[in-house]
Amino acid sequence: MTRILLRNKLDDCIAAWQKAGFSVLAPVRRHEMSSFGEVQKASDMAFDLVLPERTIKDHFFPQTEPLIKYKISKHQIDSETMTPPDQKRVFFGVRPCDASGLAIDDPLFGWDYKDDYWFKRRENSVIVTIVCTEADDFCMCTSVKLSPDSAKGADVLLRPLLNGAGWQVEAVSERGTALLETISPLLQENSEPTAPLPQVAEKFDVEKVMEWLADPASFESQFWKDIALRCVGCGSCTFLCPTCHCFDIQDEGDTYQGIRRKNWDSCSFANFTMHTSGHNPRNTQSTRWRQRIMHKFNYYRGKFGVNSCSGCGRCTRQCPVDMGITETLQAISTLPR
Amino acid sequence: MGIQEQYRSEAAALLSSGEVKLVIGFGAGSTADRRRPLFARTPDEAQKFVLDAACIANLSTYLVTEGLLSDGKKVAVFLKPDGIRSINILISEAQLKPEQVVILGYAIENGKEITPLEGRNISDFSIGEQIRSLTPPPHILQEAERIEEMSATERFEFWKEHFAKCIKCYACRQVCPMCYCRRCIVDVNQPQWVSTSSHTLGNFEWNLVRAFHLAGRCAACGACDRACPVNIPLRLVNYRMGKEVIDAFDYCAGENSNQKPVLASFKQDDPETFIL
Repeated sequence: MTRILLRNKLDDCIAAWQKAGFSVLAPVRRHEMSSFGEVQKASDMAFDLVLPERTIKDHFFPQTEPLIKYKISKHQIDSETMTPPDQKRVFFGVRPCDASGLAIDDPLFGWDYKDDYWFKRRENSVIVTIVCTEADDFCMCTSVKLSPDSAKGADVLLRPLLNGAGWQVEAVSERGTALLETISPLLQENSEPTAPLPQVAEKFDVEKVMEWLADPASFESQFWKDIALRCVGCGSCTFLCPTCHCFDIQDEGDTYQGIRRKNWDSCSFANFTMHTSGHNPRNTQSTRWRQRIMHKFNYYRGKFGVNSCSGCGRCTRQCPVDMGITETLQAISTLPR
Repeated sequence: MGIQEQYRSEAAALLSSGEVKLVIGFGAGSTADRRRPLFARTPDEAQKFVLDAACIANLSTYLVTEGLLSDGKKVAVFLKPDGIRSINILISEAQLKPEQVVILGYAIENGKEITPLEGRNISDFSIGEQIRSLTPPPHILQEAERIEEMSATERFEFWKEHFAKCIKCYACRQVCPMCYCRRCIVDVNQPQWVSTSSHTLGNFEWNLVRAFHLAGRCAACGACDRACPVNIPLRLVNYRMGKEVIDAFDYCAGENSNQKPVLASFKQDDPETFIL
């Protein structure tokens, strides 16, 4: 016997969490875009999405974030540190790839310096993952050794019931156990079977890819020039990626006062590595695309022991010229050696 | 012989004779309904070209890639009428030399039938009338009219909701053949004239800067709209700006390559209604 949550209890569930001080976020379709947004009732949620267009990363590492407010006067500088809101949040209906993305980025944000902006939000958030029952042509979690029912990054794991009436519920962290306690009267014992997982074919051999990338000879390979020829150099793949985490610090204001902000930045942009002198060490799109792949499947793994990709496939799904990690890694794993 | 085979062999012939150094066309994409830009440098590579009704991207954007045409050699490119229109605009803005571009033209009728266009040089195409009478697809037109009927406040709210979604990935700019500036104003950072922040105000700044810069220059190919990962209806913006320019100056961008850019030239009888 396991515990289940019925769909028709979801409104009560949201109310219970709100009563316990949480705001509830779930996949929503708003203004012709799907993303995670705050919901008040079950009917606000878009359950039919394989994956929202935007990642939950947006709610932990927003595209622009104020850090410091400052004022410069003749003899002194006043500054005020701006901290992220400490609102407790439940993220309901996160896909395993997006939840994994958070776990993949944790070591990065806590490495030489503990990024409060990230960790405060992480500590105040409970991730309720819903296991996938559908995949599309771009899903590739299995290729990066995750799966449609991976519990990585999750606090609670929900498995859809075969009859569609609800989900089998399992806490996979202490935070998850605590969250389930707030709704325990709404859960019931049941042994309904769960829906089968979708078949997500392995699209490349990530071990082979990693081996090739680690070979110093690969850095100058003609391969990069050929594969990146059609890359137009926009930032959509990086900004829609659940693990891309690069940012820029900008002061916004006038000479005397302003706000220092942390803004998303992208290795796809020429400005990303532009030196003050005008020299740009990555002065072509192929060197930028190489950096993105190397960072995800070579450097990041070298530093944190994990690849910086959770296989969501958004990079390809949304690319205006149909590029993406899948094609590049497929090409690498079939290179003659 | 179908158009795909015809253009494959023509591309191969252009490459083997050395007339062009590169052919830019379409290849198979990552799914059955996707096509992706394909670059052929050898006759063999030209055999991979795909040409069907799914080939809707405007490939002219690659012609303004830094350094591509600086050796004076020719490049052939697969273009629909909107791509040919882009070439006219680029020539009139002195960004392309007409003799460097070989056009493998095609048209898609009713979203299904694909037919080759005659002519290989830009001067072979007279698309002026066709462009004048060009209206956006019905659903776009309908939406444009709906916005027109809104009050100023409603209209502002409409665009605020859309621009609030913008993430400043600049996909709209990167796929646009008219966005050829080596350094876009938003990338000029000494000083940073336009904020890089992607808050609603910053997003307004970016989208308005682009709208102004495209007024009277847009080829209406819809590439920006298709590229936008957060589904901002960008072609509505550019359609409206284009209409404004037609009404004010009787100027429709890209009718031919002899046009003088509307905002970089003047006529004695230009309206002066905006001058107080």
